[in-house]
Amino acid sequence: MAGETDLAGSAPSAATTAAANSRRWTLRAALDDQRLIGWGFLLALLAVWEFVVIQARISPLYLPRPTGVVAVLWQNIREGGLSTDLGFTLYRIFAGFFIALVTGVLLGVWMAVSKPVKAMADILIAALYPLPKVTLIPLLVIWLGTGGPFMLTISFMGAFFPIVINTVVGVQQCEQGLVLAARDLGANLRQIVLRVLIPSAVPSIFAGIRIGLGISIILVVAAEMVVAKDGLGARLFVAGQLLDTELVFAVLLVLAVLGILITKGQDLIDARLGLWRTS
Amino acid sequence: MTSPVVDIRFEDVRLAWPSKAGQPTVALDRMRCAITAGKVTAIIGPSGCGKSTMLQLARGFLDPSAGEIRFVDRRSGQSAPRPPMATVWQGFNLFPWLTVLDNVAFGLEMGGMAKAERHERAREALAKVDLKGFESKYPRQLSGGMRQRVGIARALVMKPEVLLLDEPFGALDAQTRLVLQEQVAGIVEETGATVLLITHSIEEAILLADTIFVMTARPGRIAREIEVTMPKPRTLADLKRPEAAALFEEIYDLLRDEVIRAMTNEGGTQ
Repeated sequence: MAGETDLAGSAPSAATTAAANSRRWTLRAALDDQRLIGWGFLLALLAVWEFVVIQARISPLYLPRPTGVVAVLWQNIREGGLSTDLGFTLYRIFAGFFIALVTGVLLGVWMAVSKPVKAMADILIAALYPLPKVTLIPLLVIWLGTGGPFMLTISFMGAFFPIVINTVVGVQQCEQGLVLAARDLGANLRQIVLRVLIPSAVPSIFAGIRIGLGISIILVVAAEMVVAKDGLGARLFVAGQLLDTELVFAVLLVLAVLGILITKGQDLIDARLGLWRTS
Repeated sequence: MTSPVVDIRFEDVRLAWPSKAGQPTVALDRMRCAITAGKVTAIIGPSGCGKSTMLQLARGFLDPSAGEIRFVDRRSGQSAPRPPMATVWQGFNLFPWLTVLDNVAFGLEMGGMAKAERHERAREALAKVDLKGFESKYPRQLSGGMRQRVGIARALVMKPEVLLLDEPFGALDAQTRLVLQEQVAGIVEETGATVLLITHSIEEAILLADTIFVMTARPGRIAREIEVTMPKPRTLADLKRPEAAALFEEIYDLLRDEVIRAMTNEGGTQ
């Protein structure tokens, strides 16, 4: 800094070039920052949206202004019980998901170490996995009604299959040398499963979690739209029926933010899993 | 530790498995040899001759198709139970999700030792292989030579009566190998354990072993048993002594014939 002021005193022309250079440099740095580009683009898009809606006098019934959506969102969070709906939806997603995580990993490990279990489970999974789970909603409603157990089941089914399949793959890909080393160090079968097979399958299990959680979210919101009286899906559906377009957008916004938070959270965990990947 | 007393005897051991072609693949056949308690035995042979298979047999991870692996108490001549063993692997086989300290303490943990004590012992073992200060690192953060020293500490901490070294320096670069070979020579001497070293390096065998078994090409058998009488622990400088040079010559001649035979065999079957 001191050097630059000195320069400015003695040679003004050189100083201006330097300043221009450094300005260009910051601009280039900004353009290189992927996050800045992403957010900048999003803001610009919203600004254009807002401007077009105002200029073209589009009715909020068709396309509300972004600022209007945020206002409605805020109002619904404060007075309209939107956070309660969010709570219901999150509970349904994660309760089913965690059951799927525990049972999926256990069954996956069991399948990976036992051939008969794998043979039996494989055939069921082959039948059930490709089936779009939304098609099970009518049957599940007949069996379970539309209450908590139904929601848990639907969210469970979304996450279970990807987690099982990825666990099997992860365990089967475990380096045989690690199992031998554990045996050599006196590990019994239970210890090998818990301390070697499952840890080494963690990156693969996590890939299954990524896919499974995504499917659970889709299924729960879809099921809520069809049968529930509360939750984000139900709120979205009712708002659509009442032509409350601003509220529709507000709920979509909540879902989008939820998606971003979950994805970013997974990215953070993923980064920590680097530990497993390079050995 | 009290010096080990159990010899490992391969008595006409055969290991074969069926192959599609009809002719079974024979890894070892009529293998007879004795691994003497408290001594370092090196097994050297052309690749594919079943060296590592012998180690797996001794460890009990494989069962012979015929013949027997016996553990014999030197003092009484009676059969003895399998003595405690630990292996150092060519590919290190460290658990990438565990710290260096937890890797070394793994075997003790499997045995149910409390955390404080096993960490204490793991620290001591790490100090022995000059890895003090690396306890909380992960394997991926270490060089190959350091990883193998973790592998050695992980085996030593089990206080094995028999130390199985499965081409322990095979995955290391030439310089690292030289340094580590010397270090291991010292460490092994200190533990006094029975050592079975699988290697394809003649220098390594001469540097470390009391007895060298030279194996034939597949099916593996002992071609010659060679005693190395130079005082231990040996250093790289000892390899330049005339008796070492003579040993090298002898082993090399045997191996060259076997390697050529192995190569022609491969050519014949393909």
